[in-house]
Amino acid sequence: MSISPATLRLRTALFWAVPVLACALPLATNPYTQFVLNSMLISTLLTLGFNMVIGSLGQLAFANVAFFGLGAYASVIAMNDLGLPWLATIPLSGLVGAAGGFLASAVALRGIRLYYLAIVTLAFGELLRWLYIHADRLTGGTDGLAIPREGFLGFRLGDDTAQFYVFLAVTVVLVKGTLNLLRSRLGRSIVAVRENEIATASLGIPTARVIVTAFMWSGFLVGVAGALFAAHIGRVFPESFGLTQLIVGFAMVLVGGTGSVLGSVLGAVLLTALPEYVRAFPGMEEIFFGLVVIVVLLCLPQGLASLLRRLSPVFLERHFRE
Amino acid sequence: MLMQLTLSGASQGAIYALVALSLTVVYRSTTVVNFGHGDLVMSGAFVAYVLVVGLGLAFLPAAVIAVVAMFGLGVCFSRGLIRPIRGGPHIGFALMSIALGYTLRGIARTVWGREVLPMPRVFDIEPIFLGDVVLTGDALFTIATVAVLLGLFFAMLTFTDIGKMVQAVYQSERGARLVGINVSRFHDLSWGTGAALGAVGGILIAPVSFLHPDLGASFLIKGFAAMTLGGFGSLGGAVLGGVVLGLAEQYAGAYIDTALIDITAYLLIILVLLVRPRGLFGRKAVVKV
Repeated sequence: MSISPATLRLRTALFWAVPVLACALPLATNPYTQFVLNSMLISTLLTLGFNMVIGSLGQLAFANVAFFGLGAYASVIAMNDLGLPWLATIPLSGLVGAAGGFLASAVALRGIRLYYLAIVTLAFGELLRWLYIHADRLTGGTDGLAIPREGFLGFRLGDDTAQFYVFLAVTVVLVKGTLNLLRSRLGRSIVAVRENEIATASLGIPTARVIVTAFMWSGFLVGVAGALFAAHIGRVFPESFGLTQLIVGFAMVLVGGTGSVLGSVLGAVLLTALPEYVRAFPGMEEIFFGLVVIVVLLCLPQGLASLLRRLSPVFLERHFRE
Repeated sequence: MLMQLTLSGASQGAIYALVALSLTVVYRSTTVVNFGHGDLVMSGAFVAYVLVVGLGLAFLPAAVIAVVAMFGLGVCFSRGLIRPIRGGPHIGFALMSIALGYTLRGIARTVWGREVLPMPRVFDIEPIFLGDVVLTGDALFTIATVAVLLGLFFAMLTFTDIGKMVQAVYQSERGARLVGINVSRFHDLSWGTGAALGAVGGILIAPVSFLHPDLGASFLIKGFAAMTLGGFGSLGGAVLGGVVLGLAEQYAGAYIDTALIDITAYLLIILVLLVRPRGLFGRKAVVKV
């Protein structure tokens, strides 16, 4: 089925309309809703990274929470000890996350897949959290690390509205980048590896390189999210990168739709907004996200993005340029 | 010193063995790794706690009721949540079991909040001194219970038709169906058995350590470490791996650094999977295309 040029134009317009309209949002927010908005943008990057490995590549890797933590710590440590401005730590954290992704892909390429990969990455994440607690000279132990207060070029770190525009710009660039990646030859290869790795290799596609790239891009996205998170909260703790993050990430991927960029954005935005109501009670958050995953797996395994696709071809995401 | 460490290692290891074995039971018969298993272990302990402390039941009937309840939960889980997505990709099972685990953990946290609950000790006998070695009632009780359970379990697999059924389904689900095994029911019962065995582990650890909602997460990783050590999917290997892990934790904690106790399991998982992915005792897995 080919898509009419009118639909394509509408799609492009819709894509750019969202961030342009979002620019006006701080006019209508109070400090609390502004904080939630910023969280949504961080969640979007996190979910995008999760979805890359789980959805597009179809591998069960739980290390994304660990890369998120790595990115956050890298950002704060670079600010405190190297004196870098926060904006400069964003790409740095991305690279640290990508390095983590490279490690995870090296493990995957050793033939450790599916459940084994899940278990080894789970162990790796917990090991890192132990390190955050015990390497207190670098990480501040359980108290965590605070970010420095000084601004950079008139940019005050504590200002949520200023942060929002930086977060928005970073998110838009990375969402667009991910869309382009998935539409490229490389993106097709990633999805082909998910469907059948051996068949993909037999077509002459270097599957190892494809897997490494997917993991590294996922790590990069999540690492950048870590740097944003550090500025957003103002402090990094080991507890922020615990196992609860995992079910939150999965829930966002599943609700939005596995393997869909649109789905990542939808899932992140919806599930950041909704649980603000349940956060007051200990345990409710876990029940909420647990039940959300169960219900989606049973009733809508392709997520909300699949509903939208059925609604209109505007929402189709295909792995080639149209 | 060494004897004392060995004893406490063996009693911890017995519980890890039980958890790893219960994970393996589910994995072998359904090819699903249950990432919510730790929370089933925790839930079993909580049910027993409520029966003992809340309703004033004696330990033994409370334990039996809790194990039966967890068996029922395991069966319901298999039937209600896993069976409907049986046709889908494997990632779906993993996510489903994670989601169940978090839900159980959340329920435990909603009810009990951030408290840690002390379970009354079962065998409050005077510790026995053998030279420098102190034998506590709990350690002896744990080791004895696990030994008896494992004996019964492996006898059942060796001497009854159930063992043949397990092997048949493991080798080929379709083949098993052809010879008249009700595979769906077999899966349900395996989930039940796994949940019940795990609950026994939780109930045994409850009097020795404190109960809290996050108990399960640590047991899950210990269970995985034991399974990995023993070769994924090997029932005997899981038991052996559990005991080895229990001993390794105690020795590493005493002779190197106490902080190592927490991460022995993680380090073992990473080391074993990178160096010898089939585990210390496992055979090479054959991957079908």
